[in-house]
Amino acid sequence: MRLLLIEDDDILGDGLRDYLSEEGHRVDWCRSLYEAAACHGEPYDALLVDWRLPDGSGLAWLRGRRAARDNTPALMLTARDQLADRIAGLDGGADDYLVKPFPPEELVARLRAVCRRSAGAAAGRLSFGSVEVDLTGRSAWLANQRIELTAREWSVLEALVLRDGRIVSKSDLERLVLGFDGEFASNAIEVHVSALRRKLGFDLIDTVRGLGYRIARR
Amino acid sequence: MKPRPLSSIRQRLTRALLGWSVLWSVSVSVAVWLAVQHEVDELLDDTLRAAAEILSSSLPTMDDPPPATTGRDAATQAARRPSSRFTWQVVAYGPGAGAQVVLGSSRSPTRPLHLTPSAGFANAPGWRVFGVPLAGGGRLLYVAQSQLERREAQREVAFSAALATLAIALLAHLWLGARVRYELLPLDRLAQRLSAHDPMPGATLGVAERQELQPVHQAIDALTERLARRLAHERAFTAHAAHSLRTPLAGIDAQLAVALRECPPALQPRLQRARAAAGRLQRVVGALLVLFRSAVDVQRQPLDLAALVARLPIDGLSIDVQAAHRLAADADLLEAALLNLLDNALRYGARHVTVSTPVDDTLRLHDDGPGVSPEHRDELQAAITAQAYEGHTGLGLMLVDLIARAHGGAFVLPEVEHGFAAELRLAGSGRAPTPRG
Repeated sequence: MRLLLIEDDDILGDGLRDYLSEEGHRVDWCRSLYEAAACHGEPYDALLVDWRLPDGSGLAWLRGRRAARDNTPALMLTARDQLADRIAGLDGGADDYLVKPFPPEELVARLRAVCRRSAGAAAGRLSFGSVEVDLTGRSAWLANQRIELTAREWSVLEALVLRDGRIVSKSDLERLVLGFDGEFASNAIEVHVSALRRKLGFDLIDTVRGLGYRIARR
Repeated sequence: MKPRPLSSIRQRLTRALLGWSVLWSVSVSVAVWLAVQHEVDELLDDTLRAAAEILSSSLPTMDDPPPATTGRDAATQAARRPSSRFTWQVVAYGPGAGAQVVLGSSRSPTRPLHLTPSAGFANAPGWRVFGVPLAGGGRLLYVAQSQLERREAQREVAFSAALATLAIALLAHLWLGARVRYELLPLDRLAQRLSAHDPMPGATLGVAERQELQPVHQAIDALTERLARRLAHERAFTAHAAHSLRTPLAGIDAQLAVALRECPPALQPRLQRARAAAGRLQRVVGALLVLFRSAVDVQRQPLDLAALVARLPIDGLSIDVQAAHRLAADADLLEAALLNLLDNALRYGARHVTVSTPVDDTLRLHDDGPGVSPEHRDELQAAITAQAYEGHTGLGLMLVDLIARAHGGAFVLPEVEHGFAAELRLAGSGRAPTPRG
């Protein structure tokens, strides 16, 4: 998943970025709302937002995103542990609320849960005909046979599955799979989509001419 | 030392009123008594004089011819006219014979009232006498009234007056008592308003009901303002402290989690120990923050004990929840208390803990660890009761005790045969609508 992490503490931000990267996610780490503004328009699978930031409130920023009809799943990471704060955080647009200090393992589990729910799959396993996608185990199955996928192939599949039938443009898919830092060949997405079709069936991913790709309806 | 019972303004005022009423009644009664005695005395004297004058004018002189009837009969008839309460006698004083009663009423004594001539008012034994010299000389008419009768008349008048005074005093006492109670009612209403008064910025008690209560209102409003500022300051401090402490701790944990993945296997046990220590530090900091907050405000609500226990990050301990009764408490504070008690159980060798609610608003933990000796338990309990934690209890038990006290309750270590037991007895609260885990 491509994640936007907004956290002003260097030690925590650095640790979370590395931990989440090792989990296979692409993490864009911003230390302030000013830096986060540079990511405006970028597609993300989830947002990890600290409440108290040096140049403003992460919750107010999230409210702004929600007001602009951005439904990207969001987790509030904060030291504010009061009931009223938790309620304000969840009412302000956060899909989950994690009080610091928290083990990164819990963050990853909650992230998966939030994204699963956003994709409409509370159980974690989604079926597309004979294909099953396990978002928790990060694996794909065809006719009950586990299919080995490369990291990039999984990232493309995950990005499409998390958007649950919505069209994802090629450029968004590139940015979701690679983030800011990677380098991609111009036809890399086509190559990975072809590979996924070969491995999981040609009906799994639809090409919408001129617009992008989408996962087949469940 | 037992506190001295407070004196009541109402009772003090009532007692003062009663005292003054009695004093006033007695003083007025005495004054009335004396005045009435004097006035009645004068009135009776006037009547005595008038009776004597009327009688003297109707009596025959020594020069007059003897009346057809006896002198006594005529005088009796005359005496009956002014009053039947009086008695009279005519005493003749001769140079050799002394005093001799020549005429007298039926009630008149046989002996002369005065042995020597005495005109005007004078007292004879048992009588008040008014003497009038009769024409012709040598004779005096004495009209007398019994002292006993006079005193009885004085007593009747004085008693009636005193009785009226006492009745007025009693009525005044009852009315003033009721008035005092009525005038003190604004104090009761002020107490009710205060009980619902929160120290929020700008919160005031409103207009006082009485002029005398205005300074109290002003003082309470000033106190409320100071408290509100203090609470806001403490809340802000807690939020800052929480942010300043929790964020680096989360960072340490995240860095250690990454390091554990990246380090060679030989280093992993050491990093795991470092991470466990960081976890413990997190719990201590969390407990300290909760401890600080417990002094600021408690938000009670009904709790789902099973859900609360299920989300506690405790490994290595099997927990059996038996929530037979309701439990209303501050979720965060109770979670911190449970976490500390379970952490204690784990550290002191327990493997199984039963968490139960034996009665409403009481949480009991009983573990299967080695427990403590009865002497040590007593020592711990005494330290907790006296809040003398230093040197006796760790931060965990201190925190649990403070959380129980913040709920208006107590932290108790009951005697058990096996293992160790702890009870948080929280003061009862009203039932709130929805349970929360």
